[in-house]
Amino acid sequence: MLEIRNLVVDHGELRAIWDVSLDVEAGERVGLLGANGAGKSTTLGAILGIYKASGGHIRYKSAEIANREAVQNVEAGIALVPEGRQLFPEMKVRENLEMGAYPRSARGKVAENLDRIFDLFPILREKQNQNANELSGGQQQMVAIGRALMSSPQLLLLDEPFLGVAPVIIEEVMAALNRLADQGVTFLLVEQNIHRAMEFVERAYVIENGRTVLAGSKQQLLGDPEFSNKFLGLD
Amino acid sequence: MTAIIAQLVISGLLLGGLYALVAFGLSLIYGVVRILNFAHGTLLAIGGIAASIIFAVYKLNPVLIAVVLVLVFLVFGYLMHIYLLDPLKKRNPFEATIGTVLVTVGLLLIISDLAAEIAGPTPKNIPLEFHAYIVGEVIIQRAELYILGGITLFTIALHLFLKKTWFGRAIRAVTQSPLGANICGIRSKQIHAQTVAVGCGIVAIAGVLWSLKFPVDPYGGFDLTVRAFTIIILGGIGNLVGALLAGLFLGLAEVFTSFLWASDWAPAVSIVLLLVILVVFPRGLASVRK
Amino acid sequence: MTGSATEKLALAAIFAIAVIAPFLGAYYLTFVFTMLIAYVVAQSWDWLHGEAGYVNLGHYIYFGIGAYVFSLGYINELPVVVCFAFAALFTAGVGAILSYPLFRLRGDYFAFATLALLPLFDLLAANLKGITKGTDGIPLPPKGAIVMGVDVKVFSYYVALAVCVAAFFLTIWLARNKFGFALKAIRNDEQAAEICGIRIFPVKLKTMALGATFAALAGACYPWAYRYIDPTTVFGLNVALIPIAMALLGGTGLLWGALIGTILLGTMQQMLLVQISGFQATIVGIVTLLIGRYMPGGLLRARIVRGTPGLGALGKEHHERLGVRPAVGAAGEALAIERRTIDPDRTILTCNGVTMAFGGNIAVNNVTLEVKEGEILGLIGPNGSGKTTLFNLISKIYEPVAGEIRFDGHLLNGLRRDTVSHVGIGRTYQIPRPFSDLTVQENIAIPLMFRGDGGLARDAALAEAIKFARFAGLEARLFDRADALNLQQRKALEFARALACRPKLLLVDEVASGLTPAEVRAFVDHIREMRDKYGVTVIWVEHIISALSQVVDRLVVLEQGSVIADGPLREVMADERVLRTYFGGSLKEHA
Repeated sequence: MLEIRNLVVDHGELRAIWDVSLDVEAGERVGLLGANGAGKSTTLGAILGIYKASGGHIRYKSAEIANREAVQNVEAGIALVPEGRQLFPEMKVRENLEMGAYPRSARGKVAENLDRIFDLFPILREKQNQNANELSGGQQQMVAIGRALMSSPQLLLLDEPFLGVAPVIIEEVMAALNRLADQGVTFLLVEQNIHRAMEFVERAYVIENGRTVLAGSKQQLLGDPEFSNKFLGLD
Repeated sequence: MTAIIAQLVISGLLLGGLYALVAFGLSLIYGVVRILNFAHGTLLAIGGIAASIIFAVYKLNPVLIAVVLVLVFLVFGYLMHIYLLDPLKKRNPFEATIGTVLVTVGLLLIISDLAAEIAGPTPKNIPLEFHAYIVGEVIIQRAELYILGGITLFTIALHLFLKKTWFGRAIRAVTQSPLGANICGIRSKQIHAQTVAVGCGIVAIAGVLWSLKFPVDPYGGFDLTVRAFTIIILGGIGNLVGALLAGLFLGLAEVFTSFLWASDWAPAVSIVLLLVILVVFPRGLASVRK
Repeated sequence: MTGSATEKLALAAIFAIAVIAPFLGAYYLTFVFTMLIAYVVAQSWDWLHGEAGYVNLGHYIYFGIGAYVFSLGYINELPVVVCFAFAALFTAGVGAILSYPLFRLRGDYFAFATLALLPLFDLLAANLKGITKGTDGIPLPPKGAIVMGVDVKVFSYYVALAVCVAAFFLTIWLARNKFGFALKAIRNDEQAAEICGIRIFPVKLKTMALGATFAALAGACYPWAYRYIDPTTVFGLNVALIPIAMALLGGTGLLWGALIGTILLGTMQQMLLVQISGFQATIVGIVTLLIGRYMPGGLLRARIVRGTPGLGALGKEHHERLGVRPAVGAAGEALAIERRTIDPDRTILTCNGVTMAFGGNIAVNNVTLEVKEGEILGLIGPNGSGKTTLFNLISKIYEPVAGEIRFDGHLLNGLRRDTVSHVGIGRTYQIPRPFSDLTVQENIAIPLMFRGDGGLARDAALAEAIKFARFAGLEARLFDRADALNLQQRKALEFARALACRPKLLLVDEVASGLTPAEVRAFVDHIREMRDKYGVTVIWVEHIISALSQVVDRLVVLEQGSVIADGPLREVMADERVLRTYFGGSLKEHA
């Protein structure tokens, strides 16, 4: 479904991504792991089209999408739940969700998608007329996920969805993500917390200094001494 | 005495409502594009002068004049952003700041000078004769009702536009979180140019309404910009209701300053208010509420 | 001065023309006089803008205040010298007082507030009729128009010329002096400037007052020559912006910028004045707009000028003008850091119940921590756990809401930010914040110039900086601007700059991410050398634990603002709680 080859991304004169390659098959749950500043968020941003690729390829359903505009990619079925949520603080929860349906192709199914999201996160139905900044961190995260779902995405990019979220809520969000996966949504998850990432994903890539350095199934990685070294530093 | 106060309140609301209209445009533009348009108030001056000239020559209905001017200003705002302001974003922060300041200050000088050369330096307005209603000892001119009505209708329309339309919501979204808006597929560059256009269009309406009652001074533009800026600092950037209240407050404050003290000092109210607010809350009042 | 022979010749020529102009007739006298005054205003404006980065659009009020004070003194029959002195002193005072509110603002807000001063002073001049005679203006008595048989215009001309010369040489002095470096640091990053030991407010206030003084002297020349002032001639928006346009047209922050800009724009204005009546403000507006749109950096910075032989010198940036480049020393020499003997039992830093909250969000929660002298302490924790906030508290970026921080016998609570480096704390930022438009050498020299004991002289500091640059592996980039460096080099530069604060305690915020393993090892060696050789205590925030594990004595783990573990690395890494919170649990669970 998604195929990235030798991606290079520059932020101004600084190179954030040197050489990232990865594949995601339809229906898979794939993790993207690595330290702070390794380039995980930039990779997701490049896939959605908010950062320009300076080199390499990003193919989605066999079409080249590197340097397409974000709006085209959203219409094609990619959505991003960004790091730090990036909600519209002084807009109501419902308005926040509706903004997710901004691309023309999504505007027809607003009511239907809202229902789906309120079923997934019932608390949001109650709070739909509150401003987003009045919500707790966990509820805001639900809004961010909900907003991404408003365009009926097939590929969902999640950037640190559990950061600053209370443990009880994490369980709830995780359950919702599992339901979405059962409905056939494909996931690419960026997460620093390896434990939580490994609870959800089937396969993962490890990025270091803007390069993919390790890849494998959950079992392969956990058994790989290099993997534990990368994260524990006990060499 | 009551009658005098009532009369003053009406003038204050009129003036304040017009200030608020000017501030709406500035607020939208500053909220979305983060550019302080120093020429913003000057647009009202040229709008009002154009309206008075069109009226004098063609005797058009002021509503039609407003429609024509809004279209012209929309185009002007769009072009101004695309050709003058947007290209500066590519420069380093120092040069971008000084560049936008210079471009908008340059526009201010050009526009007010051209307006004065075309219309003559004396203030102009649309000399429509209207009925006056007398309620007790208070005299209300019909023009004043039109202006108040216009301000009210327009504020509601703008409110609905920002709340209900996709475009209006996109403007609010970009103001509140540019990255979040980007993720939703909002093309920020396009929204920027369109917002500058809309912001200028609003000023055209304010200019026509203004000229129905008050003379338009080609050189008075910058004072209006100061007022509009005071209003958005007071009411919160991107906050329509806040701007309306702040505008009305400023209008009343000026009218009562003139009455109780001297009309010469009325323009100082907004400047002093602006400086005091900025000094006490250097990042604007909105930052305090958060 | 260190300009080329061509520059000196050009300067001499301009000066000579200015000296003889009055003899060529009344037209040239007036023409050049206007330019002299404009140059003083433009140049004095540029001290604050070009050097310190503040856009003071209301600078012209100082011209107006000077003109009014002079005129008021003059009509009260005070001697002319006294009138000038009053104008200068009073206006300097106004500048100093305005500094207090204005410097709370930055960027657009500063520009806007200062521009609003023009209509405010216009109103004051027009409405305080008892003092200023309102819009009628103040005519100066005709009996002073001829002095010793010579038109007073000639006297005021040469006074203005003298002020010009003073302004030009003051600009040279500013560009090369320590004071000027403080301004340049402020222009780039006020917080980093404070961290380097610069007390920024007095520097800004002095610059504002100095600029006000010069503008006031120019302002005083004006009514003296023309015998009349009124509010619009000295506070009008379009007259007020012309000198600023001149400085920017030439090139702000450049020695020749204001001078060339004044000559070009002044001449152009004069020619237009002769040919066109009306549309004056439009022309000023068009020029202003075009400068803003196409060359906000100024004409002299344009590639075409920089590339032209002979003219290139005019566009020289300050660092290209610095006289002697200090001799390059031998490798391996000692850094100018006091070699401290470590007493490992002595506690150098104590945090006691330190708490920091932003709104309702508690970032650092009741942290109690002790660091011994000579220790290398690793600080880890997930994103948002409060590591950087703790650094910001120790380096006085924030004031804690509760608890106290003691360092080396000083209570840090309530201390000013610029004294942090003076008591012996140096830091780096997670995202490097070097002074972008200064060279590597200058970046490092700044803390050396502004250290607690009064600091080194400029050349000594620049020479000393070379040793630090070499230590950080930046010797080859010594004369390059910081914004030309890549991320790793910027981090190295920041490290060197922090060392140049001569710290007893060094706070290092994430340097290893983005480095290759070999580079990490080299960095670790640096940290170790700082401790072993100079007795520096280090706290290192890092995500890459393999880097920390090579050097730290002790590891502290933060989670949600609280310390959850504190001890030797191996012990901490085996701690169940740490594994659970930081890594989400023992990896074995999944296998």
